[in-house]
Amino acid sequence: MNGRKLEGPAIDFAGLSPLLALLGGAVVVLMVGLLRGRAAREHGVPALSFATLAASLGLTIWQLDSSEELVAGALAIDGLGTVLNILFVSAGMATVLLSWRALAPRESAHGEFHALLLTSIAGMVVLAWSTNLVTVFLGLELLSIPLYVLCATEMRRATSLESGLKYLIVGSLGSAVFLYGLALIYGATGSTDFAGIAEANSAVGLSSDPLMLTGIALSVVGLGFKASVAPFHQWTPDVYEGAPTPVTAFMAVATKAAAFGIFLRLFDVALIDSATAWAPALAALATVTIIAGNVGALGQSSLKRMLAYSSVAQAGYMLAGVVVTSGLGVRATVFYLAVYLVMNLAAFAVIIARERETSLGDDLAAVEGIGATRPVLAWPMTIAMLSLAGIPATGGFIGKFFLIDATVDGGYAWLGFVIVIGSMISLAYYLRVIAAIWMRDAPAVAQSTPVPAGPRPALAGGSPEGDAGPGSVALGAESPPAQAGAVVYGGEPGGGKAHWEVALVAVLCAALTVAAGVVPQPLFDLVQRCGDAFTNLV
Amino acid sequence: MAIEWYLIVSALIFSIGAGGVITRRNPLVVLLCLELMLNAANLALIAFSRMHGNGDGQIFAIIVMVVAACEVCIGLGVIVAMYRRRLPIDVDELRELQG
Repeated sequence: MNGRKLEGPAIDFAGLSPLLALLGGAVVVLMVGLLRGRAAREHGVPALSFATLAASLGLTIWQLDSSEELVAGALAIDGLGTVLNILFVSAGMATVLLSWRALAPRESAHGEFHALLLTSIAGMVVLAWSTNLVTVFLGLELLSIPLYVLCATEMRRATSLESGLKYLIVGSLGSAVFLYGLALIYGATGSTDFAGIAEANSAVGLSSDPLMLTGIALSVVGLGFKASVAPFHQWTPDVYEGAPTPVTAFMAVATKAAAFGIFLRLFDVALIDSATAWAPALAALATVTIIAGNVGALGQSSLKRMLAYSSVAQAGYMLAGVVVTSGLGVRATVFYLAVYLVMNLAAFAVIIARERETSLGDDLAAVEGIGATRPVLAWPMTIAMLSLAGIPATGGFIGKFFLIDATVDGGYAWLGFVIVIGSMISLAYYLRVIAAIWMRDAPAVAQSTPVPAGPRPALAGGSPEGDAGPGSVALGAESPPAQAGAVVYGGEPGGGKAHWEVALVAVLCAALTVAAGVVPQPLFDLVQRCGDAFTNLV
Repeated sequence: MAIEWYLIVSALIFSIGAGGVITRRNPLVVLLCLELMLNAANLALIAFSRMHGNGDGQIFAIIVMVVAACEVCIGLGVIVAMYRRRLPIDVDELRELQG
């Protein structure tokens, strides 16, 4: 009291600028969304949102070489943080383009949709930069809570609301379990700081402390929910299918990158000295995830569900990079995250384009025969599928190669075998899509104008037995709003034509996928920066 | 009082919450059970904070309360939106998305 000054924490605003740009942009976008002019809302808001992301990307590149604490041990910028930041912001830019003339922002409100998107990306940035359990939890929730809302933005479609509620319940359950795990880790080590936890862990040798082990187990479960690691993946297909497709694309790539960023940071920095305890468990989870994802994808006819199961399998591949606790593993995981981002965005962009062109939604039939009719969409989809399967000359091959190299190097050669077997299974469903694109004729109904009940009666709402066609239509007629939802679903904006920006995203991402496979060196150089966060790894 | 008692109560509340999330069908009750789980973690955090004699756990607990409030807001918002669409307010009836 007597003359003593309260010392505020030293805040590095230059390092914090990419995050501040996102949060400031979110506020501006929310305000602009309240303007009366239709053009301002429909085009001004996405443009501003895109500009915010571009600014954040520029600031990240400006800070690319910095490696320092930002806010009193809560956030720190380093190689891993900046590289992941580039991934989040690029995914955000693609999502803004994909949702520019989509249904979801029109049904909710443009301002809110984009503000939520930017806030979610800000949460990912906080998560990727956090060096403290408190900021980890805060970042995780800041990224998840806007996503729950984004999933439910097509408010007149029952499945969108259902996916929102399902994601909310499962996501919150994951967060609660994760939080309890963090509380126990804090209890065992007496510190919420990553460095403090690592120090206490190595000094006292907490690897066999029941409190610590329970804490680690619960945080693995919690993060498993977020990263859709089997056996905590059951929500993934439902939520991916029900959410508006641009949101699904964003969720699939950006959330996964954020979840794996924190997997790497929490396990390879804070809990590295307990690796003997958690590495075998994570290796087992990775195996289960690869098998469950690839087998689950086999029988799917909905492209979004198939990609959901495929994302589960990819999570398993990336988990292998965490298990090996080596610098090589970290780099392989981040490399795969980058490749996964572009190949998945290409696939989702094609699905969005076909949803708008046809009334078949995301069914496999929607891409049948597009090799002849729409080569500009057929090629990106083909490249994306080949890359997801890991065919040479695509980024997916180099990524898998890098991961298998890391597993062999880290003494988990059998996990490398599991990755190879998983890729072999996955060819079955990826090649099915390619066969549909090139070897089948376009179905006659594909170009039809929207029919009230739509060819997918399950979307008409209301009925638990949605697969029974006539019954469902009758039920839709009983509740007018439900039927209206189906009409709106069939009649995407633009009256059945795809928009150039969707095709642009598809072509660009496919080109990057091939580029990452043919000349991977620039991406290798970028990923090389991730090492400096992990001083204790070889 | 030994720390064990606090931890036992906290683990009990956590289990009640987790059990409720899994077994209850009404999304409102499910949200309530999620709150129980978060508050169990809060209790553990504050007990540990007292045990270690530093304030980190208490700060963590306050932040968790804010986050929990946000989560409930979103949850109630989605439930109201479903109610307006006259969808069944029952977790077991949500099976349009399956396969």
